[in-house]
Amino acid sequence: MVRKAFFAVLLATLLITLDIYTPWFESFRGHLSKVTVPLQLISNFPNRIGAWVDLNTTSRTMLEQKNASLENERLILLGKLQRKAELAAENLRLRQLLNASELLMDSVLVTEVIGISPNPLNHRVTIDRGADDAVYVGQPVLDAEGLMGQITHVYKNYSQVLLITDLNHALPVQVLRNGLRSIVEGTSDYHEMRLRFVSPTVDIAEGDQLVSSGLGGRFPVGYPVGTVAEISQRPGEKFMDIKVIPLAKLDRSKHLLLVFRLQDGDQSRGGK
Amino acid sequence: MKKNSTAQPVLAMLLGAIILQLIPVSGEWLAWKPNFLLLVMIAWVLYFPDRYGIEFSVVVGICADLLFSSTLGYHVLIFTICGLIVIFFHRVIAYLHMGHRVVLVFLLVIVVELLKAMMNSLGDIPVFLKHIPYLAVISSLFWVPLDKVVNRFYLRHK
Repeated sequence: MVRKAFFAVLLATLLITLDIYTPWFESFRGHLSKVTVPLQLISNFPNRIGAWVDLNTTSRTMLEQKNASLENERLILLGKLQRKAELAAENLRLRQLLNASELLMDSVLVTEVIGISPNPLNHRVTIDRGADDAVYVGQPVLDAEGLMGQITHVYKNYSQVLLITDLNHALPVQVLRNGLRSIVEGTSDYHEMRLRFVSPTVDIAEGDQLVSSGLGGRFPVGYPVGTVAEISQRPGEKFMDIKVIPLAKLDRSKHLLLVFRLQDGDQSRGGK
Repeated sequence: MKKNSTAQPVLAMLLGAIILQLIPVSGEWLAWKPNFLLLVMIAWVLYFPDRYGIEFSVVVGICADLLFSSTLGYHVLIFTICGLIVIFFHRVIAYLHMGHRVVLVFLLVIVVELLKAMMNSLGDIPVFLKHIPYLAVISSLFWVPLDKVVNRFYLRHK
């Protein structure tokens, strides 16, 4: 028995080494997700049944109240949108005066989360849109509050999203107040990220809003990412330790938005 | 024929464990979710160490690695060590009262989580230790029905 266990430990060590230092198992993992997604759909049944029961047991009065509240919210948002349209037009005119390139416009596609990685250290979700909906690797994903992550794998009818709080995710950002650029990294905690390599001499303060800087070309410019929550510096360290709270509800949002980038004027995907 | 008569319940339980593992749980609750594959592995190794021994631990470990998208071999190593502990003590454990077995699972889950934390710290992955006692308590609660089911198969095949 001990001999068997010894060989098993040896096998495990070999597998760990091969998985870390070679890409041999990558394609296998890709194919495997074709098996796990149907299982994720089955696992989602309790949630769907809960939602169905919730919907069918809600009284008409409550639905009417909810509808009225949503209608009010819609009117307020439409009012805000009118103001934003005016600002966008003014911004465009100013950019033309400065001979600066036009900003790209984005259109969005609504999608739903159908699976969550069972590993608490692995911040990935599966969504119900795939290659059939023209989803592509590297595509940004938002929720109503801010940037959620990016697409890492695309299959026919579903895709995998790497969230911005995943340990392997890094995102170029800038401080909204003064344009200071940096990189925010995930920490495997849904409520915390870290701003890396920020010198103690730069102008950054608690409460500063961070937005995507667009550097690297993967994420569009100006989407809200998070708020600076805490700044500290350990003695002897060259850089500051900056904690950022993400704005997106990474562990709660069920409906997300896939961002498609369009040249100004091309509205073929708009309103989807 | 008799030797394979537990194969179907084992497969059904593993499938059930995978589905339970995949049920979406949000945020911090995820850290408190028991490792159902580990519990199923412990149950079968505990009652049938001759049929479901180290090889079974390795296979379930590979399943866990693929399911959790962890480094291949990570769960294999942990499950092997856990399986070896269970096999080593199974003769004593078989005579224990259910309450004692619940305590044993509580301790095993703590050992497994500490092993995970140790391996994570070697790989520069953040380690969260606060959730471990809660996870061990919840796992012990799930152990009770699982133990009863596997014990029934044990009594039938004894």
